[in-house]
Amino acid sequence: MKKSAPGFREAGGADPIDAALGDRQASPGIGRLDLLLRTRLALGLEATAAPTLVFLPLGVVCGPYGLNLLSSAVLAHLDAVVSVALAALGVFVGLALDLRSREDRRLFLAADVESGVTVVIVAAAVLFLLHSWQAPIDAPASAIALALGIAAAASSGGGADAPAGSFQQLATHIAELDDVMPIVAGGFVIVALGGAPLAETVRLAGLTVVVGLLIAVAGWLLFERAHDPAERGVFVLGALLLLGGAAAYLSLSPLLTGLVAGLFWRWSPGRADQIIRNDLQKIQHPLVLLLLLTAGASLEWSRLAIWLIAPFVLFRVTGKLMGAKLATQLAAPLAAADLGAYLLPPGVIGIAFALNVQQVASPVTGAAIVTAVAVGSLVCELLALIEPPGRAEGR
Amino acid sequence: MRRAAALALVLATALLIRGAASGEPLRTAALALGFALIAAALVGDLFERLKLPRVSGYLLLGLLCGPNLANIISRSMARELQVVNGLAIALIALMAGLEINFMRLRPRLAAMARLGGVILAALYAGLFVVFWATWRWLPIAPHETGLARLAIAALVTIIVASFSPTVTIAVITDTRSRGPLSELTLAVVVLGDLALILSFTVAMQFVHWALGGVGPTQVGVVPRVAWEVVGSLGFGAAVGAVFALYLRYIGRELTLVMLGLCVVLSAVGPRLDFEPLLAALAAGLVVENVTGGGGKALTEAVEQGARPVLIVFFAAAGASLHLDALAVIGVVAVAVAALRLALILGGTALGVRHSGIDPEQGRLVWMGLISQAGVTLGLTIIVAAEYPTWGTNIETLLVALIALHELIGPVLFKWALARSGEIGQMDAVAAVAPGAAPADTPA
Repeated sequence: MKKSAPGFREAGGADPIDAALGDRQASPGIGRLDLLLRTRLALGLEATAAPTLVFLPLGVVCGPYGLNLLSSAVLAHLDAVVSVALAALGVFVGLALDLRSREDRRLFLAADVESGVTVVIVAAAVLFLLHSWQAPIDAPASAIALALGIAAAASSGGGADAPAGSFQQLATHIAELDDVMPIVAGGFVIVALGGAPLAETVRLAGLTVVVGLLIAVAGWLLFERAHDPAERGVFVLGALLLLGGAAAYLSLSPLLTGLVAGLFWRWSPGRADQIIRNDLQKIQHPLVLLLLLTAGASLEWSRLAIWLIAPFVLFRVTGKLMGAKLATQLAAPLAAADLGAYLLPPGVIGIAFALNVQQVASPVTGAAIVTAVAVGSLVCELLALIEPPGRAEGR
Repeated sequence: MRRAAALALVLATALLIRGAASGEPLRTAALALGFALIAAALVGDLFERLKLPRVSGYLLLGLLCGPNLANIISRSMARELQVVNGLAIALIALMAGLEINFMRLRPRLAAMARLGGVILAALYAGLFVVFWATWRWLPIAPHETGLARLAIAALVTIIVASFSPTVTIAVITDTRSRGPLSELTLAVVVLGDLALILSFTVAMQFVHWALGGVGPTQVGVVPRVAWEVVGSLGFGAAVGAVFALYLRYIGRELTLVMLGLCVVLSAVGPRLDFEPLLAALAAGLVVENVTGGGGKALTEAVEQGARPVLIVFFAAAGASLHLDALAVIGVVAVAVAALRLALILGGTALGVRHSGIDPEQGRLVWMGLISQAGVTLGLTIIVAAEYPTWGTNIETLLVALIALHELIGPVLFKWALARSGEIGQMDAVAAVAPGAAPADTPA
């Protein structure tokens, strides 16, 4: 994996996805936001600041319950952009997945085990609690539980600038790979939230993959043959819009269509993956910031949402620690406690998935899930500050 | 071959998605934009190979896949595509402004103005006389007489005479043309647009008064027109000056900033009753003429940002073309189009003779004046909303005319540019002086 300049997760630096995408030049605007994040150093905190901590609250301030800059009408207009941003995230994850070496496959398996354990623990706990509370819900309880489990499973290791082969790099790689399984499972859950029967759910999830593949093949045919950078930009932008738009049109998962396309471009012959990486780098960070601001502005403090936050955080931490313990069996040099600390920061994929759930679920359920996941992610990021990755390694 | 396969795949994907949806989903914008962007770009490229304007390819793709024919782009999707309209019009006008260098044009400015004036006078006079004389056979308001007939005939004349700055500029930009014909045509369409804004405002007041509505003195036509024209130019100049400062002192992320600038011009301007096209043109003129242009970086930013916006804009225009209107009012529309063409041709010949323009440069100008598009449609919508009885008749006639002119106009203009040897000259100038102003522009 290529090494990038140290910086900040998802807002311009040491995110695993960033690392796979290579070095980039931050825009002046993003540079100033980086400065804002760097203030954490002055507080004696770790330099691996998560943009979630800054931009989620900023979204709340700008949202309908704050300054109303991101009013309900604006959020409705942003819906299409959110779908495209989700597809772009899926593409990033797909492009970063390299399974050619045995070591990569072993780490991928470890990541799947870790994220699978988190999904099961969070989903089972939430399902049990929803039944015990007799909570007021208007969607299948199992789908809500699974949605929260999947949102909890993604991690953001934040050590892409670690030395090659180091503990930190291995842990970061696992954090990077553990986004894949939740996105795939999320493809089914998004369809299931619509209340379709099992056979229809499977058919629609299959359609998500087929649509992603068709668009990926079309892109692959075009990217390398573009006459000039402007035309290539048109093709890349068009492919992204199609990936996000097709999923939005059919109420499917843009994350999954994007993942499928990203995987195809990663594994197909030619330079399609390089081209899309270079072009997407320009919009990666604005899209992530947009997702976080939108999530912050979409928060609604319903009783269901407040009930779900504490179990989400508690069982996510439990799931990550237990998952890390199992994963260390497959990734030998890692110590369970250290890996657990690395996997604690949730990153942006979980929030992105929650936004996707909000697009397809009923307004009440959707808002409750976004609120629980967003606030839960914020709390997990704060917990990661208390026990930052790497401290355990040093002991 | 690869491109054909990709186009087939994109079409198949769109059909698959449309077929899999139950009913008409709500969230169609991104799909419509993505499909239009890729498919229209590929058809535009095919047209380029056939020596036809790309713009026509974008339009044809929109038309073929639009709600009137294949319905891959449904009516609601076509509406969603129009979100880029304001941005596209501002961007196109900004590009036009960036191409007009007064120092370079100064020796010919007076002659250009005379040529434009004669063409417009011929068009206005000829159309009005024929409409007046044939009023009872025109399917607009045959029962109207006297002042009302005079006022409505004047209004129809003004709208039918209008040009399409967007199509003209888009063809010039798309073919990277530069030279006397491009500049002359651009000058005439910009002049025509100014005349259109002035005369339409006055004509609408005249119609109000003639039909017994509010009198012209009560609403203050002169201040209103002055606010619209002078205000637009002032607003655009101010925005252009800010952009010029940005170019000089920061100069980064130009594509994004330029698109943001166009959003400001197209979204903020109309709230203050400013005309986005004029405002954006003024902004471009300030950047080009006051600060000496933005050099190669700005050219690249324009190229990067304009391509997708233009593709979607013209594909949306194609998808919204009402062939059904052409079927309803076909004979009259063809007759009016033929009259307009004859008057533009005659006006150009007369103008070239009396303006002092080199006949070799001026004789092809008429081909760049045929297109009609968004501006014309916008005016007819205003009329139809205000006068539903006969206004909708004007709308039907004009929509049919736009369908004709939008398909024929770009093809004719590109042919003219090719004949005058101006295609690709924009790049040739840039290659001579990379990163600098054109060679014939004083420092």
